[in-house]
Amino acid sequence: MPAAAKIRVTGLCHHYRMDDGRQLLALDDVSFEVAEGELMTVVGPSGCGKSTLIHIIAGLVRPGSGELRVDGQRVRGPGSDRGVVFQELAILPWRTVRRNIGHGLEIARIPRAERERIVDHYVELVGLHGFEDRYPHELSGGMKQRVAVARTLAADPKVILMDEPFAAVDAQTRITLQEELLRISVVTKKTILFVTHSVDEAVFLGDRVMILTRRPGRVKESVPVPLPRRERSWDTVTRDARFLTVRDHVLQSVRAEVTDADAGPASAARGGAEHGRA
Amino acid sequence: MKRAEAWLGALPFAALVAAWWFASHSGHFSAGSMPTPESVVAAARDLASQGVLQADIFASLGRLVVGAFVSIVLGVGLGILAGLNRYVGDLLLPLAAFFSAVSGIAWIPLAIMWFGLGTVAVTFVIWNSIFFLVFFNTVLGVRSVPRIMEQAIRTLGGGHRVLVLQVFLPGALPYIVSGIRTGLGFGWRALVAAELIAATSGLGFLIFDASRFFRSDQILVGIGTIGILWVIMDNVLLTPLERHTVKRWGTVVEP
Amino acid sequence: MPVRPPRRAEGRNTDAPDAATRRRPGPPPLARRTPAGAPGTPRRAGWLPLLGALRKSILPFALLLAVWWALPAALHLNATVLPSPLAAARAAGPLLAEGILPDYATASLKRIALGGGFGILLGVPVGLVLGSNRFLSVAFTPFLKFFQALSGIAWLPMALVWFGFTEKTIQVVILYTAFFPIVFNTMTGLRTVPPRLADALRTLGAGRPRLIKDVWLPGALPSIIVGIRLGVAYGWRALIAGEMVVGAGGIGFLLFQSRSFQQTARIIDGMVVIGLLWIFLDAGFLRPLERYTIERWGMVQR
Repeated sequence: MPAAAKIRVTGLCHHYRMDDGRQLLALDDVSFEVAEGELMTVVGPSGCGKSTLIHIIAGLVRPGSGELRVDGQRVRGPGSDRGVVFQELAILPWRTVRRNIGHGLEIARIPRAERERIVDHYVELVGLHGFEDRYPHELSGGMKQRVAVARTLAADPKVILMDEPFAAVDAQTRITLQEELLRISVVTKKTILFVTHSVDEAVFLGDRVMILTRRPGRVKESVPVPLPRRERSWDTVTRDARFLTVRDHVLQSVRAEVTDADAGPASAARGGAEHGRA
Repeated sequence: MKRAEAWLGALPFAALVAAWWFASHSGHFSAGSMPTPESVVAAARDLASQGVLQADIFASLGRLVVGAFVSIVLGVGLGILAGLNRYVGDLLLPLAAFFSAVSGIAWIPLAIMWFGLGTVAVTFVIWNSIFFLVFFNTVLGVRSVPRIMEQAIRTLGGGHRVLVLQVFLPGALPYIVSGIRTGLGFGWRALVAAELIAATSGLGFLIFDASRFFRSDQILVGIGTIGILWVIMDNVLLTPLERHTVKRWGTVVEP
Repeated sequence: MPVRPPRRAEGRNTDAPDAATRRRPGPPPLARRTPAGAPGTPRRAGWLPLLGALRKSILPFALLLAVWWALPAALHLNATVLPSPLAAARAAGPLLAEGILPDYATASLKRIALGGGFGILLGVPVGLVLGSNRFLSVAFTPFLKFFQALSGIAWLPMALVWFGFTEKTIQVVILYTAFFPIVFNTMTGLRTVPPRLADALRTLGAGRPRLIKDVWLPGALPSIIVGIRLGVAYGWRALIAGEMVVGAGGIGFLLFQSRSFQQTARIIDGMVVIGLLWIFLDAGFLRPLERYTIERWGMVQR
């Protein structure tokens, strides 16, 4: 029996208004579902609209058209049911690690004692024990992102949306954070939608990898990754034929989108209209 | 977008002038305490036709230019010296800090004692207000140049002159320019204060003299001129200066 | 005033924090628009640095005194032009004993406290209102910049016409001078809070009041404090000038009056006091305020 869809997106369209008044179609008829407890990654060339997608699901941007349901409910704006981890610094520089992590709980008016308990738990979970009373500027990039993840987790949202959260940290830290995310996701069993530039990251993390076309973004294909998440680690996957096959496939698929962008008029016709639809 | 912003920016000014017009014509205030906009314009034309306004503008600007020039030359020169030599720097910085704290304006009475009323005293006060700031910032700027740059040029065979002219001076430039910009701000204020108290010409003297005869229309001419001159200086001189040197090299120090 | 950038520690994901990899401090400190205080010196453990600090702060002034001593003699200047340090010190005696100096100093301090205080009380709310709306802030930026540059000192003659040679004149000038930098910086501070922070909090379920309390106000605080520092700095200078002109007591008046009586020694004493008072104000109030917020949060003002 397939798990019920936690996130269901149907026919999502969105355009941007440019400075000169033109409309730029960012997302074109995007439809997909994310099952409960699934970790789905979204990957695609620059400008394909994947960040926009996250912002729309988060409720920070209102889509041009289309339907968006989380846990059966329509999305009407940001809310604590959809936690977001951004790429840039989004934790408050004037709060300690502890107070940042507990912020969602504070907003939800959870009593202090219980709040402390939950915060302690997540501090341990993301490996920041000993740094609870530091301020963000005293932390490295990777640690700051861990605070952001812990903050989102602590608020116990129904789904977690992640917009290239590891793009701004160095390669070593990134690998560590990826493995940690896998570990945390298995433990907490959260539904996660993870957007990234990196094909390796997408295939490493996702149960399924959704590939978007170049702008205007459409769902090109959805590729399952046949390794159980709990068994993955960077040491092992690079020797695993299943992983490598999927990765090559996704890489080719994304590459095709990028080179099509560089090719001539033929691809322009294929790419569809750049201007807004009624 | 830019043009819309410019129009938007003009709104508060327009509102102010409108409010002023209504208030001054309402009959609530005497002509002495709130002159009408028209009377201020008339006074401006009057002063200009007599050449008084121009003479005062020249006097004030002249003092500013001289004071600023000397401040910058001395400030940058000494600043580079102090920045490069730790001992000289440690010696001079606390002194500069203290003299900065004794603002240029506090020097006015002493300046009068030494130079009497007039241009020298005013220029001296201006110099005081600008020099220490430029000096300070130059030292900071020189010290902020990463060692690696100095070392790189040394390994290319650069001697002292090359180092100063091609590494430290350009490297310190953001700070220097910032210091000049801030310094000129202080200098312009000190100029007005000094001319109020210690001069017989210049814009500061103009407005003070006008106040003695309760000629508020002339006062406002003076105040307006002071404000507009600064706007011109900032937009025509300082911002382009910053843009051409600092922003072009990508090392902006936002004030 | 340059801020010493904080160190960062790199941590591993499991056990005790590992401080083995320590990054170099961040970008060099930025130049400020505020009058400089004494520059900071790097700290080392022990009391040796105390000796070094003493040497650094006392030696320059000792040298200054020495030059001052020698100058009148070398240039054959009489006491009215440049009295010797001894004469200046001696003149300080009656100033203190007769209570002139303390009275005038307190008068000046009271004025800056009042003017600065009201400047904050009025300026911060106005700045917050203007900063909360994009159109308002765009519209008022040139306006505020213009009147900030047009120092209160220039308005002194107008204030004289309105209020005469009274206390009120001085107060109005100080208030005006302090007001505009505070409003401007508050407004820009609010506008430069990264919108991302508010977005993040919205996804945690925060409503408007919560955003104001947890994001906008703390985010704007460093700018507000810079504005306060600037406002008080400008206001202090306007105060001195105002006191010189209005003649209602105060340190500025002491300088002016001493000049009228050709008491150069007193002028110098007064100037030293002005310098000390500013250092007291800056180091005693303004800088700790800055340190408590900006440096604690690691936000260097740009």
